[in-house]
Amino acid sequence: MASLAGEIDNTSDDPRVRAPLVVGDHDLASVTESVARVAEAPRPPRAWYIAFAISVSALAILGVMILYLIFTGVGVWGVNNPVGWGFAIVNFVFWVGIGHAGTLISAILFLFRQKWRTGINRFAEAMTIFAVICAGMFPGIHVGRIWFTYWMFPVPNQMELWPQFRSPLMWDLFAVGTYFTVSLMFWYVGMIPDLATFRDRAVTRVRRMLYGFFALGWTGAARHWHRYERAYLILAALATPLVLSVHSVVSFDFAAAQLPGWHTTILPPYFVAGAIFSGFGMVMTLAVPARQLFGLKHLITMRHLENMSKIILVTGSMVGYAYLTEFFISWYSGNIFERFAFIGRAMGPYWWAYWIMVTCNVVTPQLFWFKRCRTSILVLFIASIFVNIGMWFERFVIVISSLSADFLPAQWGYYTPTLIDILTLIGSFGLFFTGFLLFCRYLPMVAIAEIKAVMPRKHRQGAAAAGEAGA
Amino acid sequence: MPPMNQGKTGRSYWRSLDELAETTAFREMVEKEFPSFAPELLHSASRRQFLKVMGASLALAGMTGCRWPKETIVPHARRPRGRTPGVPVEYATAFELGGVATGVLVTSFDGRPVKIEGNKEHAYSLGASSALAQAAILELYDPDRSQHVARRGGEGEGASNWAEFTRFASEHFSKLRGKQGEGLCVLSEATDSPSVADMRDRLLSALPKARWFEYEPVSYDNERAGVALVNGSPQRRHCRLADGDRITADVIVCFDSDLLMTHPTAVRNAREFSRGRVARDGQMNRLYVVESDYSITGGVADYRFPVRSCEIPAVLCALASDLIGRGLELGPAAAAVRAALEGFTPAVATDFVKQIAKDLMDHKGKVLIDVGPSQAPEVHALAHLLNQALGGPFTYTADPRPERPSHAESIAALAELMGEKVVDTLLILGGNPVYDAPADLDFAGKLGSVTTSVHLSLYNDETSRRCNWHLPRAHFLESWGDARAYDGTVSIVQPLIAPLYGGRSPIEVLALAIGDELTDGHKIVQRTFRAAFAAAGDFEKQWNRALFSGVVADSAWPAASGQAAEHAWLGGLVESAAKIEPRATGEYELVFRPDHKVHDGRFANNGWLQELPDPITKITWDNAALISPTDARQLGVRYGDLLRITHDGRTLDMPAYVLPGHATGSITLPLGYGRTQAGYVAAGDDGNGAGSDTYRLRSSAAMYIATGATLVSTGGKTLLAVTQDHHAIRSAVGDEATRERIEELYHEITLDEYKAGHQAVELPQFNPLWKEHSYEEGHRWGMAIDLSKCTGCSACVVACQAENNIPVVGKAEVERGREMHWIRIDRYFAGSPEQARIVQQPVTCQHCENAPCEQVCPVGATVHSAEGLNDQIYNRCIGTRYCLNNCPYKVRRFNWFFNHHGPEHPRSIALGESFYIGTPDHKELNDIEKMAFNPEVTVRARGVMEKCTFCIQRISAARIVAKNEGVEIEDGSFTTACAQACPSEAIVFGDLNDKNARVRKAHADSRAYALLRELNVKPRNLYLARLRNTAPHAGAASGHELTRASDGRTRAG
Repeated sequence: MASLAGEIDNTSDDPRVRAPLVVGDHDLASVTESVARVAEAPRPPRAWYIAFAISVSALAILGVMILYLIFTGVGVWGVNNPVGWGFAIVNFVFWVGIGHAGTLISAILFLFRQKWRTGINRFAEAMTIFAVICAGMFPGIHVGRIWFTYWMFPVPNQMELWPQFRSPLMWDLFAVGTYFTVSLMFWYVGMIPDLATFRDRAVTRVRRMLYGFFALGWTGAARHWHRYERAYLILAALATPLVLSVHSVVSFDFAAAQLPGWHTTILPPYFVAGAIFSGFGMVMTLAVPARQLFGLKHLITMRHLENMSKIILVTGSMVGYAYLTEFFISWYSGNIFERFAFIGRAMGPYWWAYWIMVTCNVVTPQLFWFKRCRTSILVLFIASIFVNIGMWFERFVIVISSLSADFLPAQWGYYTPTLIDILTLIGSFGLFFTGFLLFCRYLPMVAIAEIKAVMPRKHRQGAAAAGEAGA
Repeated sequence: MPPMNQGKTGRSYWRSLDELAETTAFREMVEKEFPSFAPELLHSASRRQFLKVMGASLALAGMTGCRWPKETIVPHARRPRGRTPGVPVEYATAFELGGVATGVLVTSFDGRPVKIEGNKEHAYSLGASSALAQAAILELYDPDRSQHVARRGGEGEGASNWAEFTRFASEHFSKLRGKQGEGLCVLSEATDSPSVADMRDRLLSALPKARWFEYEPVSYDNERAGVALVNGSPQRRHCRLADGDRITADVIVCFDSDLLMTHPTAVRNAREFSRGRVARDGQMNRLYVVESDYSITGGVADYRFPVRSCEIPAVLCALASDLIGRGLELGPAAAAVRAALEGFTPAVATDFVKQIAKDLMDHKGKVLIDVGPSQAPEVHALAHLLNQALGGPFTYTADPRPERPSHAESIAALAELMGEKVVDTLLILGGNPVYDAPADLDFAGKLGSVTTSVHLSLYNDETSRRCNWHLPRAHFLESWGDARAYDGTVSIVQPLIAPLYGGRSPIEVLALAIGDELTDGHKIVQRTFRAAFAAAGDFEKQWNRALFSGVVADSAWPAASGQAAEHAWLGGLVESAAKIEPRATGEYELVFRPDHKVHDGRFANNGWLQELPDPITKITWDNAALISPTDARQLGVRYGDLLRITHDGRTLDMPAYVLPGHATGSITLPLGYGRTQAGYVAAGDDGNGAGSDTYRLRSSAAMYIATGATLVSTGGKTLLAVTQDHHAIRSAVGDEATRERIEELYHEITLDEYKAGHQAVELPQFNPLWKEHSYEEGHRWGMAIDLSKCTGCSACVVACQAENNIPVVGKAEVERGREMHWIRIDRYFAGSPEQARIVQQPVTCQHCENAPCEQVCPVGATVHSAEGLNDQIYNRCIGTRYCLNNCPYKVRRFNWFFNHHGPEHPRSIALGESFYIGTPDHKELNDIEKMAFNPEVTVRARGVMEKCTFCIQRISAARIVAKNEGVEIEDGSFTTACAQACPSEAIVFGDLNDKNARVRKAHADSRAYALLRELNVKPRNLYLARLRNTAPHAGAASGHELTRASDGRTRAG
């Protein structure tokens, strides 16, 4: 393969030249090689071990925290009256938001023929899966009687008791459940040709058996390809509305309640924009080190990063616009409760959270007006971290500052997280990164089959001789 | 009967049988072989006793047995022939505090008293009760109560028992009888109990040289002495603020007097006062309050003037002067008063008295001036002179013991005797003088010089631990006794249960000291009344009637009057009043007052009271030095900052609480905290209990008002666990928003506006998209809370806690905002910080028709009932807390832990064990604590939501009774716990479908409004706007104009 030192600039916007999406001296074989090599190497880079050790430790902390929670009670968290939802729900919304980019990239960009998505879609989808797992965990453990969480599901029972379908929490359950299922299928279906490649390249029996099992007998036959392309298109069509629905429904948890600061019609689009924003932020955070670490710079090119930064700029500005609109409407409504909900956010006891949010979400992305920032690895990485922090705080502001001061001033109360809250949040990152690192180690991080389709034509010729499966 | 705590010491069980075997009563019983067993036993006392007797009879088969329930308790209510298990029975008894009894009815389930209510037939209860009386149930079952006789010093140190004490007492006191009681002193709590009086007389005749002292740290003796100056002999003043619905006091002026909260007749005062607050026929009383602290009475005043307590004599003299100037005839004392006030010019501002004087003169004959217990007798005397001249609804009764020295004198005299080492034997019956005697007396130190000291007490407290003998006292709910109401009406105190911890009552201990032939409280009390009852007819009949109704008919003291020969005190009063200087900067007065919750400290081990938010400050589990915003600003002190208070060489560090409306230059120090030896609740596990011991600054020279104190900020900080205005949530914009909202949330109108035709606040009309439930048939429960009547006394909060098994969560949990009260009282300040007004708004579940909580529960654990209630189904609830978030009133309470001794409860902190490594300590309720639970109400587990149910168990009980009897539920035949306890009848509950229901009428009142009506949640509870009776010529100078110009929620510093 062609190993490349430094970055190759493929970010030119000259309309006469189609910008290459795979750079460097690649042919079809070397693409396969460079992706498969990561999973086939006898041992991953040392950095992977360090990252994995940290992630697993954090995951262990999460396990301990959850056990402690179950044995003791929700009181171990900082939640109180009136702030009935704390870090758990903040984290839930945060992770669901992260989980947004994957399906957006795989489904919507696919339907819109945005070919640059192929470099990043696979691990964006993987990120979605693990983020949604993290998200799904929180509503499960945050209830008072964890052992009865299953009552939220419509499980037939002798008392004919069903969940209450008027509750946005029910809608949420189905929205997130559906989203997870479709995302998982989408991810898996898209991975089948690549799994077959791995199977064919496997040198040990175990790898051959396992990859073989999940490759579902893929041979690369034309009929397979035909059905595969159909199925992928249908799944993309199915997933597209979900991108919009899942975070809209998550926002209903708040919008359908009558709390000032929650009860606003702007929430669904605002949540979706925020989710895409945060999702791309997280993809960026993962992509920058991953491409470095696993030598994938030629597949996840500067152009990919730049495109993502443009989306971050757009969605970040949309989010900023939503913040302004909220303020305007709360003032325009003339409702004293509504008005205070927003003034209180900016100038009340949680002013710091609000201004962290604004700085990270609205100010930071403005850097991306400048091409120099869009093409600086360091700026991209730091800005993406800021986006993640900002979006976590956005959920903190929405959930906690609204709850802490609602209608009756006598019942206002401050929320302070406990150590358990903080460790649980850290632990959820452990869960996420453990999953993600395992994915990097054992599964194709880049869609090998797909990316070949977007390679410059000249590479095609070089690969003509190769009879690789999946190509 | 063996003590309940026998579990761990089987030995003492057998021992107590041995002990029993020695008594003659026991021998009699054995002779009878099958003593009064069978039907009457089944009907009497308790199932518990029955089972005990059964068990004992079987085990000991006629040879021996327990103490038989010889005592027959006559229930108050209709009693079925055969007791139906599970059907509660009510018994009448009396709750005595500071020597004054209030009648109560105690609900007993299968022999377990679980709830205290007021006794309608008792003139000082009228069916209502105070928070303190309500909380007595928890005290009864308090596991921290003393359970053993204990001995200190000398041989046999350590745990002892009654047999040993009895042996010791018979020997010791017979020796003393030989010496005619030389060297014996008895220190009693204040009490007017006829039986105690009888025993006292017997003691003093058997031991003529013995001396009897009475001490009460919070006493009304100043008023008694004041009346003596005017009427010639110590007398007690009785006032009536209303007679039924007729207002008898048009204008009430209180000087440092908390007539509606800490006064011994507060429950009745609140009832009568509230009758005059609803503008029936356009009539309304008007209340002026002049005080330093912010009292409950001050909170409901039409006009309140904050002045230092030490200025009140000057204010009163100025008022007298003004009244005389307006032509008030002072009767026989006129010349003396006129002479004394000649040329009186106060050095302090008293301009506001003009308004009061004019109002008093305008309503001559129907006015009342009341002075609080902290003021000197002379100040009281002047007030009584003015009252007598103005005429008003008050009478006097003679003090039954005019020769009794005041409590302050009494304790000082005893301390002096002890200091002279002439006290050989000191018998302390109740009270806790080591903790609450004036600090300069060094009572604790002098107690060491007493050879034999015996302390009878509910708790093994500070005094007990310095006495040779500690005797466990029987709770009033487990012993026989009697007590007198404020007007002298006698109530028999009857036990509801056998002593749980083997305690005895003061009269039983006195019987041991005297060597009385009767040792049993029941017989002693019967003896006290035998002559009087027999004279009125059949003793048994009279006795049973007294037990049944809770009062002894016609036992009140007769009215008295009198006239002092001369008024020499006037000169001194006016002279000193004229000398009262305006406050010098840096100098403060300290005002000691009983705490709203733990009183003088005796209730400090009561978790319900500790966790009850103070009605004014909302502090729980603590006391704080209350300081005015101006002083706080000057000192640079903010809420929770530690102050170092120095007075007369004594120093105390305690947290400050900046109280808007508090008088500048005055510091209020609530008594009763900082207990070092009591239970775990009061004193923690290290003797370092909640709050600060303000008694350490209190000297016998300045029992209530101490001038010339200095204050500095230590720079330290304490976290005060408040249930409202948590420090961290305060912000400038938040305070501004609060100001903006108060008018929306708390409606207030003046009497004139109301009379001019007040327009009711209409509920918003929306066309629902669906067909709403009609409630045409059956019941439609609803509530109304009259803000004009509510004083904020918080009796409802404790009543609800007792009725509904609401847990106590501990200070740290309250600090986190996790208190569990189903009804709370929101308190807001309005007006400028210096002249702030207080408004109180009880908030409970509003049982919304469009309940926001119901729509969001994913499992349908909260649903609407066919009778309009918003029901919470505990065993369906999984605890998502979405309902809590969506409740606009924030009345839902979540069980963050298993809260019956949750991890922050003092008992869990002290005694708890961790179930799994690392999990917080937890102490399970013991069997006795569990007896306090109301069996009709589920004890909620961890992880479920709970909230006010409108006492659904009471609704069900009433429905069952009505159904069985084939009648309709009558309005007023039952009510919720909060409404039943409410002294001022502010809460009304009933069926909105019942045309005659009071609640329906209340909802139809033009004052009725729904809290947050614009949300269209259609609450079942409506508030009635508060009425304010403004005076026609009241100047705006008082700062009490109605506009809510600014809010008092200041940020000091």
